[in-house]
Amino acid sequence: MTEISHSNLHRTAWGDWWEGTRRTDIWWTLAWFDIVLRYRRSMLGPLWLTLSMGAMVGGMGPLYSALFGTELSKFFPHLALGIIFWTFFSSIVMDSCNAFINSGNYLKQGYFPISLFVWRAMARNLIQFAHHIVLYIPVAIFAGISLKAHALLFIPAFALFLLNAHMLGLVLGLVCTRYRDVAQIVTSVMQMLMFLTPVFWLPESLPGRAQYILWNPLAQMLELLRAPLMGNVADAHNWIGIAIWTAITLMAAGFLFSKYRRRVVYWL
Amino acid sequence: MAYISLKNVGVNFPIYGAGANSFKKTLAASVTGGRFGKETGVNVVQALSDINLELKAGDRLGLIGHNGAGKSTLLRTLAGVYEPSVGEFVRRGSVSSLIDPSLGIEADANGVENIMLRGLVMGMSKKQVDELTPSIIEFSGLGDYINMPVRTYSTGMMMRLAFSISTSVQADILLMDEWLSVGDAEFTEKAEQRMKDVVSGAGILVLASHSPDLIEKECNRVIHLEHGRIVERDPQ
Repeated sequence: MTEISHSNLHRTAWGDWWEGTRRTDIWWTLAWFDIVLRYRRSMLGPLWLTLSMGAMVGGMGPLYSALFGTELSKFFPHLALGIIFWTFFSSIVMDSCNAFINSGNYLKQGYFPISLFVWRAMARNLIQFAHHIVLYIPVAIFAGISLKAHALLFIPAFALFLLNAHMLGLVLGLVCTRYRDVAQIVTSVMQMLMFLTPVFWLPESLPGRAQYILWNPLAQMLELLRAPLMGNVADAHNWIGIAIWTAITLMAAGFLFSKYRRRVVYWL
Repeated sequence: MAYISLKNVGVNFPIYGAGANSFKKTLAASVTGGRFGKETGVNVVQALSDINLELKAGDRLGLIGHNGAGKSTLLRTLAGVYEPSVGEFVRRGSVSSLIDPSLGIEADANGVENIMLRGLVMGMSKKQVDELTPSIIEFSGLGDYINMPVRTYSTGMMMRLAFSISTSVQADILLMDEWLSVGDAEFTEKAEQRMKDVVSGAGILVLASHSPDLIEKECNRVIHLEHGRIVERDPQ
């Protein structure tokens, strides 16, 4: 039996995505309140984000540079950016898993294009990231890093990152709403990947045959974002790898979004 | 112009209870060729089936039926929350949903912030909300409390705020789950007047209620739902 349904409220997938995207005022305000309300009753407010990250980076830098026997001025910026970006990656991934579940109270009130709630999760994480990345300024000054013109490569790298985060957000949001176990799987995979990605350790300390570890998409994304800020240039394989990965997430997100975007609310 | 038409509309909920929801079982079923089919077989609840309905401006539709008869699901379908699983659904005109006005109220945010949040979610732009805010505050009668976090409000005060925001815009189609009556004697009077204005301003009203008197008073058409089907219409 094939079931036919038709609704004049139905938009094309593209139209639905755009409708959620263009309402920046809604998702930005929701994200802003997410942060503001979380720290409403604390005196320092969102400054805690900066402080706790500062404590982590400041504490781990000297320890790990001693453990690995590398010079602090060389290792510190690597570690600081590693932790800051990794926190950004992992919290955006976790938030994506719950993007629709946490917005259930809105989704059950009316017709909302679901891309709106992925943007909300991203915007919230972007605000957090902004509180973290300022810590890199003193670290970079301490390490005497001078940025050259190729630091501008950070801009396309960050744009690629946002694109990937959005697509992955749609995919994870949909899958995690339907299969509630997936969020748990994602949590443990992200934990494992943290150690397989050069967040703490230096890639050059890998023995030759283990170099393939650097091909994981998170390591490549991290390298693309980290290298320009440290005055380096990322290897070409990172760009190629992320381009392929972007194509995959685009297709997966396009497929799932066009097929299931109006089913999500049935799964909540 | 307000217009709603439903043709053979059905809404089926897959129920992924504990167990059936799990990835493991679906995976196990897919690799074992469906031997666990019975376990993964998703229960489907037919919340609505074969709903045929046409509403034009001036129609005041009352929905009656037992708990679980499908009244709220029908309201939500009209609101656009659930896209019908089968059938044809046409809706024209702006919609205001008073199904659960206190949904989405943030306890830690203050009154003004909640007006902004709710207003945006109701589809207004930031500018529109800013313009409406003073009149909403005034209507709610919360005074200085409007700058206090909503968690400090009493239940009645919270309902007043939710009510004032939800009824601040006039829409072509009004969806309601029970009549909203809130607050103390003085506010109830004001709220009644507001409700009357909103209802009379709307082209179409759809009201679900357990109160025969209310339906009698407000509606000129009634449908009786049972197990997700229309069992009785008045007028026929």
